Amino acid sequence: MRAMVWWRIGWRNLWRSRKRTAITAGALALGFLSATIMVGLSQGIVAQMIENGTELVTGQLQVHHVNYQPERSLYSTIGGRDGTDVEALIDLVAARPGVEAATPRVYGGGLVSSGWETNAGILMGVDLEREPQVSRMLDGLTAGRLPEPGLREVLLGSEMARKLKVEPGAELVLVAGAADGSLGNDRYTLSGVFHTGMTALDAGYAILSIETLQDLLVLDRNRIHEVAASMTAPWDAPDAAAALQMTVSRQVPDIEVEDWVSFRPDLAEYAQLAGSANWIIVMVVFVMAIFGVANTMLMATFERRHEFALIRALGSARSGIIQTVLYEGIVLGVVSLIAGAVITIPVMVWWSVSPPSLAALVGDFTMAGSLVQANLRVVLTWQTPVMSAIALFLTAILASLYPAIRSARVPPADALAGAE
Amino acid sequence: MLLNSSLYLTEDRRFMKLLRWPVGIVFLAIPGLVQPAASQAPSLETAEDIIDYVDHILRGNSSKGTITMDIVTENWSRSLTMEVWSLGKEYSLVRVTAPKSEAGTATLKVGQQVWNYLPRADRTIKIPPSLMMGSWMGSHFTNDDLVKESQLIEDYHIEISFDGERDGEPVWEFTLTPRPEAPVVWGQIVEQVRRRDVMPTWAKYYDEDGVLSRTLIFSEFKTMGGRLVPSVMTITPEDKPTESTMIIYSDIVFDVGLDEDFFSLRNLKQQR
Repeated sequence: MRAMVWWRIGWRNLWRSRKRTAITAGALALGFLSATIMVGLSQGIVAQMIENGTELVTGQLQVHHVNYQPERSLYSTIGGRDGTDVEALIDLVAARPGVEAATPRVYGGGLVSSGWETNAGILMGVDLEREPQVSRMLDGLTAGRLPEPGLREVLLGSEMARKLKVEPGAELVLVAGAADGSLGNDRYTLSGVFHTGMTALDAGYAILSIETLQDLLVLDRNRIHEVAASMTAPWDAPDAAAALQMTVSRQVPDIEVEDWVSFRPDLAEYAQLAGSANWIIVMVVFVMAIFGVANTMLMATFERRHEFALIRALGSARSGIIQTVLYEGIVLGVVSLIAGAVITIPVMVWWSVSPPSLAALVGDFTMAGSLVQANLRVVLTWQTPVMSAIALFLTAILASLYPAIRSARVPPADALAGAE
Repeated sequence: MLLNSSLYLTEDRRFMKLLRWPVGIVFLAIPGLVQPAASQAPSLETAEDIIDYVDHILRGNSSKGTITMDIVTENWSRSLTMEVWSLGKEYSLVRVTAPKSEAGTATLKVGQQVWNYLPRADRTIKIPPSLMMGSWMGSHFTNDDLVKESQLIEDYHIEISFDGERDGEPVWEFTLTPRPEAPVVWGQIVEQVRRRDVMPTWAKYYDEDGVLSRTLIFSEFKTMGGRLVPSVMTITPEDKPTESTMIIYSDIVFDVGLDEDFFSLRNLKQQR
């Protein structure tokens, strides 16, 4: 009951100068809006980096033979030399909750030659049906078409195609050490050229259908090097990897399930760093606001010196005056928060639904080994608004603390006597 | 930003290691395959003289030989029979004759340049310089062995590090240290040559950190083509002691009257 009284006093005092209160609450609401947007943007950049860094090639989960990394030996196929039932393994991985899709891959190191130009390259054999569900590598066709399974066709990165001076339809010779020790070599047709924006891929990768590459490398159909999988939510990958490690190990010996946090630790570390920087963003915004609000509150209380002196003279305790002013601050916080929510929610929803593209200004670029699309995307989480709301309340309370103490110290006799 | 952007480059480098690639005619570059009759031996006064001599004895002015290469790795074993021609330091040509599935595969070296002919694709490929450290025909020899071997005297400072008896056999041991500007991969090479017939017995290759990387052993010294030669060479990588490549000469003749025209791209391709 008593608390209600203080709320009412706070509320009434707040609206004695409507314009001033509206301006102060507006400033706090804008602070709330900008803190939420800035944190959302920073999280958007991080999310984009994680997605780009993992969706382009690696996927968010990978299954290998335990010995496959870091040497990437041709012989370290999943299930060892005898291989494994690829379809069953794919189904097992894809059946894990949170896993969107899984796809098999074969890798080899080799030479790509067109007449007199020869380049070393990574030969990557993919399942042309499943691969697009896991990675975006095949999306960036700039010329020609995808290889046709069954035909000896190759897709080259744009930079490699430029160096070899070839266009779709051209004849290529691929040479690679095969699993039986022989030198695999054959003629292929360039079916198309892809561009990812990531130099290492564009200059170093040749993509074939998985069967075509297995033939060149003299690997049986049941021998693959990797199963890559995509997750609905990247941050669920570590748990999914641990669970899959258990279930897959029962079917296939000597396997290792890794999540993107372990094969792209740089991305994970950056995400953590950016996460802690968010607190600093919020702090900076509201520390600036504290001084603005404190200034207004000081003015508002200074105008009422006579009033506080009178209340004191009538026998009110100092704590009563402090409480009066503090409640004014708290009510200001509530009003500002409501105003902040009213302007923030639509802005954030609009922004997250249709992020403005800066592609016209900067184009796509790579950062930390990840292709970054120049979209200004924001990420909506419940943490950010809550964090900003707490900061806003703290601001309102801290900003009214000093004016409250000053008001309580007004000497009643002097003030009533008109001494300024 | 704060991140390591070299991920894919690192991966590329790892893949490079996987390349098993026919580039070098390695054995021609290894010092001392063939030894002239003792009576023809020049005066061998300095360490350079001896290494240079050992280096040259194999080639003569020109040579033609037949070799078998037995490769044993963790994952497979295979045996290739090849014909080898050489002219001086600059020219060599190797053609696989067996097994049938690989017959016709050929390597041509002219100076620092290397070409390969691939019969299945029926195409000739020039090996890019970046692949010189790749393996030759899946063996434990690299292409660099081929190209660099003929330059031991130019690239290395050579000194006698031991002169005395090992197991009752008088030998020299030479330590080859790269000259400061020499573009070589080894940190040091130690080679043993026996005194009585100036035959190499082994060579040990150390990496830039001074760690033993591989050992080459010469054995089965025989007279072939009128000269004493080590007819078997075995190379063993230190990090995979169960693996090895063994080259066995079944015949070799010298001064066969080849000229530069023989070492042509047309001849590289020609099936014989």
